[in-house]
Amino acid sequence: MRWGMVVDLSKCVRCYACLAACRIEHFLPMGINWPKLVAMDTGGDDPTVSTYSVRCNQCKDAPCVEVCPTGATQQREDGIVSIDQDKCVGCRYCVVACPYQNRTFLSKDKDQGFFPGIIQTDFEKAGKKLYKHQVGTTEKCNFCAERIDAGTAKGLKPGVDREATPACVNTCPARALTFGDLDDPNSEVSRLISEKKGFQLHPEYNTDPSVYFIDGKIGQSDEKKVDDEPQKELKAIGVGD
Amino acid sequence: METHQWMINYTRQTEWIDRRGIFLWIAFYTGGLGGGLYLVSLYFNSLWGMLISWLIIAVIKGGTHLAYLGKPTRFWRIVTRPQTSWLARGFIFVMLFVIFGAIQLVLTYWQPGSAAEIVFKALGGIMAFAVALYTGIILKNMKGVPFWNSALLPILFVLCGILGGFGLSVAIALAGGDVNLSAAEMGSRILLVANALVIIIYLLQADHRETVGRQSVIEQLRGHSAPIFWIGIVALGIVIPLTIAFTSLYTEIASGLIIFGVACEIIGGLALRYNVLKVGAYKPLVAKPQ
Repeated sequence: MRWGMVVDLSKCVRCYACLAACRIEHFLPMGINWPKLVAMDTGGDDPTVSTYSVRCNQCKDAPCVEVCPTGATQQREDGIVSIDQDKCVGCRYCVVACPYQNRTFLSKDKDQGFFPGIIQTDFEKAGKKLYKHQVGTTEKCNFCAERIDAGTAKGLKPGVDREATPACVNTCPARALTFGDLDDPNSEVSRLISEKKGFQLHPEYNTDPSVYFIDGKIGQSDEKKVDDEPQKELKAIGVGD
Repeated sequence: METHQWMINYTRQTEWIDRRGIFLWIAFYTGGLGGGLYLVSLYFNSLWGMLISWLIIAVIKGGTHLAYLGKPTRFWRIVTRPQTSWLARGFIFVMLFVIFGAIQLVLTYWQPGSAAEIVFKALGGIMAFAVALYTGIILKNMKGVPFWNSALLPILFVLCGILGGFGLSVAIALAGGDVNLSAAEMGSRILLVANALVIIIYLLQADHRETVGRQSVIEQLRGHSAPIFWIGIVALGIVIPLTIAFTSLYTEIASGLIIFGVACEIIGGLALRYNVLKVGAYKPLVAKPQ
């Protein structure tokens, strides 16, 4: 069994509901997002806007698991890469090693609350009790492992039964996200990948991501033209990191 | 709607150089410097050099690395995964160097020439080399940053560390320490030339290592990091020390000027590590069609 996700780029309507659902599900601090969304036009004479909803790829050969010096980052039998916050020392080796830049170091400035220094909302108070985010450690998407575990313990099937399915998949109004078992050839995700030629981001890294994309209108090549000039802005990390 | 730059642009890594990443930069450099100085001190059998190198690694490198961690009180956990993690291996190298080095210093002071001293010198030397080497291997293995993906990087870091070691040995000799000044100067000359050659080869290689590797080289030579490259690495790190080192072959040079050259060498080494970390860029996650 290996949990995976398929993102249908043609269906995404850029509503950001997946980000909101994740924030609510995990009581995420204001400064970070586990899934991220980017929209851009496809260029050419007839440009259309396409969207990539990205999150931790839960790679089969995950560089972050390999480099973690404490064993805080582990891969479960179902393929989910999880972080034990109590073991993480905050060395950020995994953050730098992730070629997809899908990990975030939770620093103090990213956890200042919704209204810094003024009031802590009831939502935040509840979050502090239910889902502890430790400043000084690394975070990332975990495919809502706690929902999967609780659901499968009840005999439910992730990807089919909502209670056992990641929050972002449940909440997507356009059904652009599909979740299921990549090892099951009859699962919805396997069918979509084979029928619609699902592709992974940067397969050349040999990490075998568990997140696939279909119906992309944006070029899948990562090669950009180098204009022999330094970039005006060579900044890393956009909003939500 | 806001765009995440890192998805569609080349973006440099920030965690290991910006903000608190400065601590890691210093830790990476002082690991190489301390390791290099220890190896050079073994060659000269300089107790002062060994003591200084031990202090550099145990206090400055260890301290800055600890200060960088998000949860420093859990530092002991770093040793738990040496089978796959180079950071865990590096931590073990540092700990072993500190232990072996301390024993060796005691033995060299009180029982010079004993078999035990020779054994611990060898062990300390191996660990010092490993400490100087492992940071380069950590960077070399990063899949997402083509600029670092070169076997030359660990070699460059070790050479740079040994160069700094020779520089500090010159300073120890001038201060009346137990180092042969002319031999230390000769070592500096050779290492300066070797270092310059490796830097040139490294940049030429990186220029052809995918488009993002080239972008990193451009950034270094003509972008935001260019002043550090041209002033820090080229002028202070190579040209000035090299000029002083070769001038000293033909004429007597004031010790103050030699110390200035040593300081330039150290600044050059720091600038080299800084820029290597600073311009390391990731490929875009997805690409806009051309």
